[in-house]
Formats: sequence, C-alpha cells, structure tokens
Amino acid sequence: MTSAGLHIDRVSRRFDVDGRSLLALDTVSLDAPAGSFIALIGPSGCGKSTLLRMLAGLDQPTSGELHVGGETPQALQQRGALGIAFQEASLLPWRSVESNVRFPFDVIGRMTRADRERVREMIALVGLQGFEQALPSQLSGGMRQRVAIARALVSQPQLLLLDEPFGALDQILRRSMNEELQRLWLNRPVTTVMVTHSVDEAIFLADKVVVMSGRPGRIARVVDIPFPRERPLSLLASAECRKLEAELLALMFEGGTSDRSGSRTGSERGDD
Amino acid sequence: MTERVRESQVTKKPRSVRQLAVRHAMPLKIALGWLALLALWEIAGRQQWVAGGALPSPSGILGQLVVDWHDYPEHIRATVRTSLLGFLLGNLVAVLVGFLMASWRPAGRLLSGVNVTLFAMPPIALTPILIIAFDGDAPRIALAALSTYYPTMVATVLGLTRVDARLLDLVRLYGGGRWATLRWIRLRHALPTLLAGLRVAAPNAVLGSLLAEFGSGSGAGLGHYLIGSLGRGDPARLWGIGLVATAISAGFYLAILLLARGWVGRQAPAQESLGGSSGGSMSRASRLLCLAISITLPVLLWWGAVWGLERVGVSSFVLRSPPELVAELFSTMRPESLTSIVGGALAQTVPWCLAGMLVGLAFALLLAIVGTLSPVLGRVLMPLSLLTQSMPLVALTPLIVLIFGRDGATILAITISVTFFPAYVTLAQGMALVPAATLDCVRVLGGSRWREIGLVSLPWSLPYLCAAARLVAPRAFLGVMIAEWLATGTGVGNLLNVARGSLDYGLVWAVVVAAVLVSVLLYLAVTLVEHWVLKRYAMAPAP
Repeated sequence: MTSAGLHIDRVSRRFDVDGRSLLALDTVSLDAPAGSFIALIGPSGCGKSTLLRMLAGLDQPTSGELHVGGETPQALQQRGALGIAFQEASLLPWRSVESNVRFPFDVIGRMTRADRERVREMIALVGLQGFEQALPSQLSGGMRQRVAIARALVSQPQLLLLDEPFGALDQILRRSMNEELQRLWLNRPVTTVMVTHSVDEAIFLADKVVVMSGRPGRIARVVDIPFPRERPLSLLASAECRKLEAELLALMFEGGTSDRSGSRTGSERGDD
Repeated sequence: MTERVRESQVTKKPRSVRQLAVRHAMPLKIALGWLALLALWEIAGRQQWVAGGALPSPSGILGQLVVDWHDYPEHIRATVRTSLLGFLLGNLVAVLVGFLMASWRPAGRLLSGVNVTLFAMPPIALTPILIIAFDGDAPRIALAALSTYYPTMVATVLGLTRVDARLLDLVRLYGGGRWATLRWIRLRHALPTLLAGLRVAAPNAVLGSLLAEFGSGSGAGLGHYLIGSLGRGDPARLWGIGLVATAISAGFYLAILLLARGWVGRQAPAQESLGGSSGGSMSRASRLLCLAISITLPVLLWWGAVWGLERVGVSSFVLRSPPELVAELFSTMRPESLTSIVGGALAQTVPWCLAGMLVGLAFALLLAIVGTLSPVLGRVLMPLSLLTQSMPLVALTPLIVLIFGRDGATILAITISVTFFPAYVTLAQGMALVPAATLDCVRVLGGSRWREIGLVSLPWSLPYLCAAARLVAPRAFLGVMIAEWLATGTGVGNLLNVARGSLDYGLVWAVVVAAVLVSVLLYLAVTLVEHWVLKRYAMAPAP
C-alpha cells in the first residue's frame, strides 16, 4: 500500500446544540500531495478536531466532499487503511502492550504472518522491546503514547491522523517524542494530518501548517514550512524558525476569536 | 535516554527496611484497634454490662455455636440453596434488562418506574404476597431474586455505556460496527463493573432469602431458625445464627471478589449515578409519554402477575388485581375502611422512619468528620463498615430486640443501624476525595483543621450527603417495618403480619401496596431535595 493525497472540497459542518444550529466548519478546502505532513493549528473550537474526525470517517460533512487518494474515508475504513492516535493514549487497559499494538488486526479480522512480524517490528521501532507483556497502567505517559503511535502505524495506513498526540506530555518529553515521530515518519512517509496546540511542534514536524480561525471554523492561511529534512531539534532555536513562529502566532490571534464560552464542538464531547 | 532509564524504574518496589516499617505501621495500628474492640466486647459480655447479658462474649457465642452445631447444616443448606438460586435468577434478568437498556436508549426511561420501585421497595413488604402465592422454596428464591436485581442492572448499564468514546471511535476507524464495539470494547469494559455489581447483589440475595423465611411458617433455613430461637431467650444462640448468616453472606462477597481479582485484576469499575443521564434530544411530548408509561408499567406488571398466578391455579380469593383493590379500598362493606386502617399504621411508621434516618445520617456525618481528624480511627471504622455491607444487617434485628426491649428505642436503634453504615461509607469516601490543593488553599492561609473541614471538606461532601440520604431512605423504611414486625407490634410492619394471620387478603394487599408506594415516594422526595440542593449550589450528583 502506498500513501494517498488529500482532497478536501468546500466542506461545511453544522451541529445542532440544544435546538440551535452551530456552524463548526465553513466551506473549508485543502489539497495536499501524497506523503505530506499537515499540521492543523488554531484556537479552541475552530473545528480542527471536527475536520480530523471527518477525515477519519467518524463524522460526515453537512456539505462538501473529502477524498483521500480518490477514495472516501469510509472506503478507507473498510480496508483498514487509516490510523489514529489521540491525546490521552486511549489504550485498552486490559490488554498488554503487544496486544494493544495488535488491536487493529483484531478488529479488521485478519492477521497474516507478515502482520505478526510487523507488530514486533513496530514495538521495536518505538523502543518498547522488553515491555511487550506490560499493561498500560504499568507504563509512563511517554511510553503509553509510544504504544498508541505504534498502534496507529501497525496496519501501514494510507492516512495517519494525530489528535494532539503529545498534548498531555511535558515540554521535554514532547520534544523527544517529536524527534521520534519524525524518525518514524521519514522511515515511511505516510500522509499525515496532525491537530496540535503547539506552534513549534507544528513547525518542527509539518510540510504545511494550516492555520484555522474560529466561529465559524475557517482556514485563515496555509503556510509552507521550508526547512529541509531531517530537522534537528536545534532548528527550533534558530532565528528563522522564531520568526516563522511569531508570524503563525500573529495569524492565529488576528484570525481567531478566542474561545470564551469554553464549550466544545459536539464531536468532542465523548471524553470523561 | 534519561527518560528510558526513568521508565525502567517505574515498576520497581521500595525494598529498604525503613520503607517496609513505614508501610506496615498503619495496618499494625488498625489490627491493634480491631483487637481492642474485640477485647472490649469480651469483657462487656463476661461482665454482662449490656441489658443483663443480651450481649454475650465472643467466646460464649462460639461455645454455643459448637454446642448447637448439629442443628446448623440443614438450615445452612436451605439458606445457601435458596439465595444462590435467587441470585442466579435475579442476575440473569438484571443482565438481560441491562443489555436492553444499554442498547436501546428509550428502554431506560420506560423502565425507570419499575427500576425505582424495585430499588426503593422494602423487600419484606412483598413477603406476605409471595407466601400467599407460592409454596416451598419459591417465595425465598423470588425475594432473593428481587433483591439482587437493582445493583446488577445498574452495573450492567454503566459498564456497557460508560466507555471512553475514543476507544469506540478506534474500532469504527478500522471498519468495526456495533457488534465489533460490543465484542472488543464494551463487553470487556463492562466486566469489572458487572462483577462489582454482583458483589453488592450477593449479600442482598442472602438477606432476601432470610426475610422471606421470617415471614413464612416453619421449615429449614437460618431465618426460620432465628425466629424459632427468638422466644427461647438465648442470646448466644441468636448471635451464633447471626454470625453464620453473615459468614455465608461474606463468603458470597469474597468469592466474587476473588473471581474479579483473578479475572480482571485491579481494573476499577465505572461509576456514575443512574439518574438524569439519559437526557438526549427528546421532544416534550414524547418525554411526557415516556413518564406516563414508566409510571404505568409497575402497575401493569402487578396486574400481569395476578393474571398469571390465576392461570396457574392460585385461588383468586387471595389475589387482588389493581382495580379489585381500588374497589375494596372504597368499599363500605367493612366495619373499618381499609384506607383508615392503613393510614393509621402509616401515621405510626413514617415519623419513626424520618427520625431514624436523620439521626443515622447525623451520626454518620459526625463520625466521618472524626475520621478525617483521626485517620487511624477512620481506618479502623472503614473496614468494619464495609464488612457490614456484606452482612444481612436487618437479620440481626432479634439481637437488638434483646438489648433494647420492645419499644420505640428498638425501632430507632434498628433504623440507625441499617442507615448508619452505608451513609458513613458514602460520606467518608466523599471526604477522602476532597482535592489536596483545595485544602492547601486553607492551610497556606494559616487555617486550622476545623476551618479546613468547615470551609472545604463539608461543602465538598454535600453531594455525598445527598447521595447517602437517597441511599438510606428506603433502608430506613425497611428497618422500621422489621422492628415493628418483630419487636413493637405497631405500625405497617405489624399490620403486614397481622393481616396475613387473620386471612384478610384485601388488607394484606392494601398494606403491601401502601408500603411499596410510600417507600418509593420517600425515595423520590429525597431525590427531589437532592436535586434542588445541588442545583442551588451548582454541584454534580455523587455516584
């Protein structure tokens, strides 16, 4: 399987909240070639996660269309060609590390000898050999997040979706996880869409940073990140990078009304 | 790299002698506290301090148990058999209904009337009717089944529905449908919660079986044995029977606990109160329709049961359908109308129930505060209180009768004893959950322990106080009725007994329906107060 390009065409999404209609996304369009890394940034409630959920086929646009490599997300779902990782690692607490990484194959309902090999390989790639039989409750936050990333990549998806994957980690751990993610991604550049609140994380990882503004959610600007791969962490201290960061922050503040009500979009409510 | 090193130490345990000593200091103190309590009991028993020997010493109880042992096997077998069968039957129904409610949202609303009735209903109230309608083991099995239903049903629904939404998304992302989420996530996720529910249900089954034995004539079973021994005035034997009943109950509890440990490890069960969570987007009209159906459903079940019993040959002379009972209530054929008899009895019972409940709650609150001030005392009391949850407490009523005699004091003592422990457990858990940071806010400003409690711990535990009141209201009613039945010969409890003895079946049905109805109304009233108080202070209800 190769990875696939992204085609988002005038997508809007409305939610009915307590009888009122709320426009969460307003005619969003975006194209990205296969094998690119997209970061979505913007204030809370700007529809980043809604967009991500639609790419995952977990939600339908009210109008407009999304295609990944010419297919709908639902078609990708049926083939097991998507991968996702959430902010809280969201591991199955009763399954071991090995069993959590294997989980996608259990749901898809087939596991070849190559798949089994791949589970072992992914655990090694994220540096968790020796912890195969550990339960999530016995792991640190960083280790749990590595399991989640291994699980997202194990089925060799054509589209990788990351919903603030390192949002719950401290700054130092986050940086080292960013570095590891870049290494994994360069190893096999799958088309990736990542939602993040961290501007420097977006600059470090992404080919394109999509700045969104809120209420209703729109794309304010798409910024190409010019730095060559493989990017060192020291890049974040460079003057060029700082300047870019300042620009992106300015875009976020001018475009996005800050989210005062604190309410989240309907799609995000499920968490405890 | 440094992070890896840190991670590898995560699972290591402290090994030094000092750490071990620190870790075992608390259990040691708790064990000493327990021993002190036991020693006090032994001395009090030997010296006959309590009511002229109504509280025998532990050694005296054990001695009597050995002497009587030849009587026990038959009774133990009967109690274990009926409560086990009731447990299986009740839980089977509860799990099936739980699945229905979890997979079809309106079911929860439609069945809420039946569920609240089964939760709030005092099991002993149904005894006369069960004994009229069935014979043999059936009344005991039925009451045991009815007593297990509620906790298991709630646990099934919670376990199946309170799932991390992202885990469900994950399954959908890989093309899984409803069946796949059930198979991979929901069933396994429900397991610890379901087992916790079964653990609560197990002592209920034993209690149900015992209560049915209280009401029926002679036969095998610890309840019969207890009632039969009541007249002989042998406290040590009564205590022995109580202990054996408790041991059976605790055995069930432990068996399920061990099963859960082996099966699901220490994975915590899901927690949430059932009330109010089934909101959703329903129109006003359909919500009212659901409410109407949910109120009618228990009455229809009653009607259906009577109809079914008549079909299997139970004489219609002893049965009353809803319209028949209503007709009889307003009939002028009786010397004294049913409404005035039942009303008079209720007027005696309800004030005791409210008083016992309030005193029990106040006592529990006081001890919860003392427990936070003195952690050792709290940790001596907590296991004791948890132990009583596996104890058919009301089955120990005859012992309280021995100590307090046959007047109002007994009613109050029994009501407090059945309300205090669950209320204390709920309140102590609430107080233990006060965030340390909030307490630090008071400490930083130089506030005393009393200020911490007054300004933070007490307001914080308000939802838990409300939850405790909701939990104990039906229990208080049950406690008063049992005390009236066995000790004072007054009120609704006595009427239940007398009506059956005088073969006045109209009166039996009137009392049973009134007792169930009042208990449900009492529960609903407490729920309303809770709702109002929590809304006033913008707090979420405690589980």
